Amino acid sequence: MTEVPTVAHRSRLRTTVETVLRNRLAVVGLIILGALIVTAIFAPLIAPHGINEIDIANRLSGPSTDHWFGTDDVGRDVFSRVVIASRVSLQVGLISVGIALALGVPVGLLSGFYGGKVDSILMRLMDILFSVPAIVLAIAIVAALGPNLVNAMIAIGIVYTPIFARITRGSVLSLRDAVFIRAVRSLGANDARIVISHILPNVIAPIIVQTSLSLAFAILAEAALSFLGLGVQPPNPAWGRMLSDGRGFFQQAPWMAIFPGLAIFVTVFAFNAVGDGLRDALDPQQRSVIEARGAGE
Amino acid sequence: MATVTGFIARRIGQMILALFGVSVIVFALIHFVPGDPVRIALGTRFDPDVYDALMKRSGLDRPLLEQFVAWLGSAVRGDLGVSFRSQQPVTGLVLERLPATLTLAGAALFLAVGVGVPLGVISAVRQGSKLDYVATAASQVGVSVPDFWAGIMYILLFSLTLGWLPPSGYVSLFDDPAGWLSHLILPATAVGLVSASIIYRFVRSAVLEAFNQDFTRTARAKGLSSRRVLWDHVLPNAWIPIVTVIGLQLGFLLGGVVVVEILFAWPGIGRLAFVAVGDRDFTLLQGTVLYIAFMFLIINLLVDIIYGWLDPRIRYD
Amino acid sequence: MTGQPVLSVNDLRVSFATRDGLAPVVNGLTYQVAQGETLAIVGESGSGKSVSSMALMQLLPTPPARVTGEALFEGRNLLTLEEPEIRKVRGNKIAMIFQDPMTSLNPVRTIGKQLIEPLELHRGLTGNVARERAAELLDAVGIPSARERLDDYPHQFSGGMRQRVVIAMGICCEPDVLIADEATTALDVTTQAKIIEEIKDLQDRLGMALIWITHDLGVVAGVADTVVVLYGGRIMEQAPVDGLFDQRRHPYTRGLLASLPVPGRNRPKKLNAIPGLPPDPLRLPAGCPFSPRCVHAVEVCRSDRPDVRWPLDDHAVACHFDPEELYA
Repeated sequence: MTEVPTVAHRSRLRTTVETVLRNRLAVVGLIILGALIVTAIFAPLIAPHGINEIDIANRLSGPSTDHWFGTDDVGRDVFSRVVIASRVSLQVGLISVGIALALGVPVGLLSGFYGGKVDSILMRLMDILFSVPAIVLAIAIVAALGPNLVNAMIAIGIVYTPIFARITRGSVLSLRDAVFIRAVRSLGANDARIVISHILPNVIAPIIVQTSLSLAFAILAEAALSFLGLGVQPPNPAWGRMLSDGRGFFQQAPWMAIFPGLAIFVTVFAFNAVGDGLRDALDPQQRSVIEARGAGE
Repeated sequence: MATVTGFIARRIGQMILALFGVSVIVFALIHFVPGDPVRIALGTRFDPDVYDALMKRSGLDRPLLEQFVAWLGSAVRGDLGVSFRSQQPVTGLVLERLPATLTLAGAALFLAVGVGVPLGVISAVRQGSKLDYVATAASQVGVSVPDFWAGIMYILLFSLTLGWLPPSGYVSLFDDPAGWLSHLILPATAVGLVSASIIYRFVRSAVLEAFNQDFTRTARAKGLSSRRVLWDHVLPNAWIPIVTVIGLQLGFLLGGVVVVEILFAWPGIGRLAFVAVGDRDFTLLQGTVLYIAFMFLIINLLVDIIYGWLDPRIRYD
Repeated sequence: MTGQPVLSVNDLRVSFATRDGLAPVVNGLTYQVAQGETLAIVGESGSGKSVSSMALMQLLPTPPARVTGEALFEGRNLLTLEEPEIRKVRGNKIAMIFQDPMTSLNPVRTIGKQLIEPLELHRGLTGNVARERAAELLDAVGIPSARERLDDYPHQFSGGMRQRVVIAMGICCEPDVLIADEATTALDVTTQAKIIEEIKDLQDRLGMALIWITHDLGVVAGVADTVVVLYGGRIMEQAPVDGLFDQRRHPYTRGLLASLPVPGRNRPKKLNAIPGLPPDPLRLPAGCPFSPRCVHAVEVCRSDRPDVRWPLDDHAVACHFDPEELYA
């Protein structure tokens, strides 16, 4: 009897996870992120001191067993503040990227799917947002709306919307005329169904990759904004703001600036590492939106 | 239109459209502010006569649309209004600070391209070598470092601890070239290295991708040496995405420069914008953002033109 | 075979080092081509046909690829030549043209420059002399206004024209052997026929040996003198073209021929596909590579590799059984 060989069927999710886990750097990133999330959730329990526990007698003292990261200019424990501030950063990161996704992906879907006038108008709009460097735009938005946490999230979300729109649109364009779409359409599926059930699952991969990378940049952006005093307002600690405070005390207490910055670096690094791992696993040939820019004009 | 001039003309048209859009947004943002901008800006130095004069000058007492048209009209002629704080013309203030910002951005770009591109090409050609490994790992770090933190660390290390370089300030090239350079190094490196890492990664992947194309196989099958294959076939195709990423990095650089200027007390446009935000000086902020956008768009235009020159296919689209 | 072989391949083996192990893609390929003769190498994708040809000119990246065997050309083994030596052969004595003309040509260089490269390199032509020769070549492959079109870019040509440019690049130094790897697969049927005609014409004029790699048996009938059928990196059947089509001794060849769609009113309702999937180089059976899909397969087929038998002087089959036993 003929034995017909079959190809082992592994689900795409499983292959993706396996590939990512094979990438050591991505695994390191995942571990760091895990630690970060745990820290953020249990922050009040982890922080040994209160964030506003002023202790003038011990101000500007270096790292010690009682104060792992030292104390700042009014004696507050830097470690506790860094830990609590992780909540701000993660929050801003997640929500602002969430906003960017919620705005950008539908725009990209509509633009790519319907083309024509809709596409032109929406892409012009995205171009305009692209015309101003990200930080500058975020600063302008926050300046207008008022400096606080929510506005910072909105500003960063708006700034990162065009990237998601571009990526989604690019993927949709390459799929729109694919044969299987025509097949589904000939079976009577309406537009909404086609977009949601057939196109969306296939464009998810680059969106996921971009999400991870955007999270990294969003956290950087939040740090920049709070560094400039435009993010979370005192007394709530934020890494960027702590950096800014630390500037004035460089000579006496460099740890005030070193540790918050280190926290930012490690977090961003982790998100980037995971993002790169995802990109290698999901779509090694992904041309980023940057390379696609020329083709889209 | 299959001519180069047609291509440029279209790009300029798009740029003007984008600039218009930006001005609308910038204008709208200012008017989002709750309350009376002039009053807020004057703050404690409130003086009824100054207030009236400013109101008239900036036309904030007239209907919105009229304001916009008037503002746009004068903006086109180079008049961006008057700073609330200092009552000096915005355009003058911006132009004064422009050289400093351009110097910093230029130096950072020079560093970024000078380090990122050659390393990226070498790493791609010698994929898997030690250099490749080390450089790629370094770029992974470089991409994740916040430029302002890097700046702080540099100041800490090179200025305060080692005392090699000054921690802040700006010296004009024409006054003191050595001083100019020593003041420029730290801020330019803070922004430039991050950009270099990004460029390195793109260049590497662009060159690798070009290596894997069919025409590279054809070139080898013709008997061309590796060197010729690299220079005549691989690199000319890789320039295109490379130039694109450099172009986009300019936007990133301009943004990074803003923060670094503040850190190093560099008297540039970024610092001006920041001061404007702090002072609630909205006409100044408006003008500054518009200028930054304008510069950015012009640079993008230049990048597009170079892009068209590099890739014959685009010229004919 | 009409004379002394120009190229003699003996026991060519190519394997690739992959994450999951060593994948043998070409397993002992042996054939010869003589001057003026056309050899067709037929197989599905993954049968090793393209890889074997690229290996001849050392075009495979040798960290992942491992090549052993012999490829005798002008008394030397191509597979062991040093880099500068093999470069003198590439594009000069042995030329290879590939499948997709759009991607085979450098999009940012004029076709004139691309055509002149091998002329410069192998014949030392420069300047106007080179341009003249390039224009002549374009003319020879049937491209109108050749002189003006030297400064055009690939995207300004149609698919058929581009392939003609590729052919011109291939024959520009009058090679002894031309390897055409799926050279007409990406073209429409009419253009295909024309290009095949032109290549055969050039072959006659230049006295080249032609190795035609394809999966399309229809093309083979019109082009080849001898046919080699590959499966799983091994030769299944080798015969002169008429002999192959008349006698088709190997079950795989039979399957291929049977699966050709038949035009006409009395067509069967279903297409006869060979059941199963192409082999995975990492999981080849110990015996005959075709055994998993062969309707006649028995135990010995799966466990023992069949020897190559020569029922006729010029016809070889790699099967445990005689066709009389199988198809009686």
